[in-house]
Amino acid sequence: MSVTDTSTIGQGITVNRSGQTGAFGGELLTVNFGPHHPSTHGVLRLIVELDGEQVRSVKPVIGYLHTGIEKQAEALRWQQVVVVTDRHDYLSPPINNLAYALAVERLLGVDVPPRANALRVIMSELTRLSSHLIWLGTSGIELGAITMLMYCFRERDRIMDLNEEISGFRMHTSYIRPGGVFADATPRFLEMLDVFVRQMPGYIDEYEALLTDNPIFRSRTIGVGRLSAEDAKRLGASGPMLRGSGVAWDLRKAVPYSGYQNYEFEIATSDMCDCYGRYLVRIKEMREAVKILRQALDRLPDGPVNVDDRKVLPPPREELETSMEAVIHHFKLFTEGYSVPPGDVYVAVESGRGENGCYIASDGTHKPRRVKFRSASFVNLQALERMALNHLIADMIAIIGTADTVLGDCDR
Amino acid sequence: MIDETLVVEKGVSAGDAWITVEPANVHRSLSGLKDEGYQLLVFLSCVDHLADASKSWPARYELLYQLRNMDTKDQVRVRAFVDGDPPHIESVHDLFPPANWDERETYDMFGVVFDNHPDLTRILMPDDWVGHPLRRDYPVGGEVVEFSEEHETWQTAPEKA
Amino acid sequence: MGIDALAESLGQNILTTTLGRIVGWGRGNSIWPAQFGLACCAMEMIDSATANMDLGRFGSEAFRASPRQSDLMIVSGRVSQKMAPILRTIYDQMPEPKWVISMGACASTGGVFNNYALLQGVDKIVPVDVYIPGCPPRPEDLVNAIMILQERIKAQGFVTRQ
Repeated sequence: MSVTDTSTIGQGITVNRSGQTGAFGGELLTVNFGPHHPSTHGVLRLIVELDGEQVRSVKPVIGYLHTGIEKQAEALRWQQVVVVTDRHDYLSPPINNLAYALAVERLLGVDVPPRANALRVIMSELTRLSSHLIWLGTSGIELGAITMLMYCFRERDRIMDLNEEISGFRMHTSYIRPGGVFADATPRFLEMLDVFVRQMPGYIDEYEALLTDNPIFRSRTIGVGRLSAEDAKRLGASGPMLRGSGVAWDLRKAVPYSGYQNYEFEIATSDMCDCYGRYLVRIKEMREAVKILRQALDRLPDGPVNVDDRKVLPPPREELETSMEAVIHHFKLFTEGYSVPPGDVYVAVESGRGENGCYIASDGTHKPRRVKFRSASFVNLQALERMALNHLIADMIAIIGTADTVLGDCDR
Repeated sequence: MIDETLVVEKGVSAGDAWITVEPANVHRSLSGLKDEGYQLLVFLSCVDHLADASKSWPARYELLYQLRNMDTKDQVRVRAFVDGDPPHIESVHDLFPPANWDERETYDMFGVVFDNHPDLTRILMPDDWVGHPLRRDYPVGGEVVEFSEEHETWQTAPEKA
Repeated sequence: MGIDALAESLGQNILTTTLGRIVGWGRGNSIWPAQFGLACCAMEMIDSATANMDLGRFGSEAFRASPRQSDLMIVSGRVSQKMAPILRTIYDQMPEPKWVISMGACASTGGVFNNYALLQGVDKIVPVDVYIPGCPPRPEDLVNAIMILQERIKAQGFVTRQ
C-alpha cells in the first residue's frame, strides 16, 4: 500500500481491504489512523494492519508539522535563532533554548555565571514538570480518566504563571539565551516558586491516588507496550522510554551540564518495561524535579545573570548615555549580530522525552551554517512498531500515549 | 577496534572529538567503533558547505555520524565528505536501527542517496515535492513582507549561499 | 435543519427578527468545536477548555472528535504543506453552518516562520471568521475570540455565509 494513497487522508479510521490473510483465515485490514485523530497527540498518521483486532504492523507517517525550523535558523542571526528553538518541542521550550545556548557558548568559549546556571536549572525543572503534567493529563483522558486532565492543567497553569513572572511569556519564554538568561528572577517569582514547591508533592499524591492503584488503569497499561532493555538500547530510545525498561541512563548524571552535578537527585527507573512502568518513571521524575527545585531555590547564589562580554550581550541601557563604546557595541549587536568562530559542536540535554540535542556548525559569519536539532521523539517513535506488535487496537492508544512524542519535535 | 588506517584526519572541536574517514569506508569504520563500545548512534546528518569560506573543504556535503559509548560516556563524531549529483554513500541502518529514519530525512532534505536502504522515500516533505530544501542553493521561501528587504531576498536562491 | 428550508420558502421579502434572534441565540450558545489542535497553540486551547478558563460555560462542553458533528474549527497551530489538503478536507466535511477561528500567529499569517514549509496563513484555503494574534495567545484570548464569534452568530440569525 503506497503512502501517497490520499483516499483515506483525514478520515479518522477507515478500512481498506488489502487482500492478505490473517491467522484465522480472514483478511488483513489496513486501517488509517489519520493525522486528524483525537488520540494521536498531534498530527501523527499511523497505517496499521489488523488481523481481527490484533495489530500485525504499524507504519508511522510523519511530516504533517514540518516547519522548516532548521532552514529558518540559517536565515536568522545567532541571537535570533533562540526564538525558533522554543517552538519545535513545544512542551518544553526552555530546555530547547538551553541546548542551543550551551552549544553556542561552547563555540564562543564563554562561561555563564553561577546564578545564571541556577536559574537555568530552575527553569528546566519547572519545564520538565509542566511537560510531564501535560503528558499525564492527555494520556489519562485518552484512557478515560477525564479528571486527570483537569487536575494536571490546574498545576500547569501555575507553572505558566511562574514563567510569565520571570520572562513575560507563558509558554515560549526564550528565557535562556547564549550568554546567560533574559532577566534576573524577581522577588515575587522566588516567593511564588517557594509556595509552589511546598504544595507540589501534595498534588502529585493526588494524581497517584487517582491512577496508581486504579484497577482499570492497571489493566490497560500493565503488560502493554513491552520494550525490553536490549530493544530499547538497540533502537536508540532515550528518556523514560529507556529508563522504563530498567536502564539507568540520564544525561543530567552521565554528562552533567549547567551545574547539575551539584544537586542531589535519583534517576527514576522501573523494571516493568511496559506502559505502567513508564508511568511510574515519570511520576518519580516529577518528584525528583521538585527536589531539585527546592535545592536550587535554597542555594541560589548571588551575582550577575549574564556573562560580562559586550561582544555577545548588549550593554545595560544606562551605559548608552555615557559611553561611546557601549553605543557601538549595541549598534553592532542589533544590526549585524555577533560572529561565532568557525567550528562545530554538539550538546545534548535531558528533556521530558529524552535526549534533545543541538548541533551547530559555524562558518565564522553572523548567521549559522547549519543548526540541527536531535529530537528524542523522532527516534523514540521508531520503537512504536516494536512495542505495538500483536497487541489489540485499543492498546495502540495507550502505547502512543506512553511514547510521549511531540510531533513538532519529530518534524521540526 | 577501529582500524587506524581508515582515519584520514582527527581532531577536537570545542571539546568534541571527531575523525574523518573516506565515504567508502564509513560502514567499516562505524562497525569497528560499534565493536569498541560506541553502541548508540545519536544522530546522522549532513552539512552543505557550498560557498563556505572558513576553510578549504574536500567536498560539498559533509555527512556526520555522532556515536556515543554509554559505558564510558565518550562521544565521537565521524565525518565523511561526499560530492556528486546526487551524492551516494552506504547506509548504516543494519548497524544502527535509528539510522533508518535519519537517512530518510537526510535524503529528503539534502538529496544524499543511501545505498542499500530498505525504503528511501521522503519523510518530512510531501511525496511529490521537487527539490531538497536544506541545500544552501534552495531559497528559504515564504512570503515577501512589505518594507522588509530581508524577506525579499529569501524568495530566490542566494548567490553567495 | 428545517429552519433553512423555511427561510428559503419565505424568501428575501419577509424580515424574521424574533425567529432569527432565537435561532442565533441557540446557535451561538451551543458551539461545538472540532478538535483541530496542531501545535503549540493546541496546548493553550486545551488549557482554555480545562478548569481555569472552562469553555464549557460557553456551550463548548464537548470538543467533538468528528468534524461531522461540530460547527467550529479552531485551527490552533502551524499548517504545513503536507497538512493543508487534510485541513481543507476536514473543513469540507463539517456541515453548514460552520465557522473557523484561526488561533495564533502561525495559523493567521505564518507567524514566526516565513519559509517554504508552512502555509502563510490558513485563510489561503479556508474562510476565517475570527483571527487571534499571539504566539501562543493566552487562554483568555481564545475565550475573547469565542465571545466575538458568539456576537456574530447572534447577529446573523437565520442567514449564514452563502
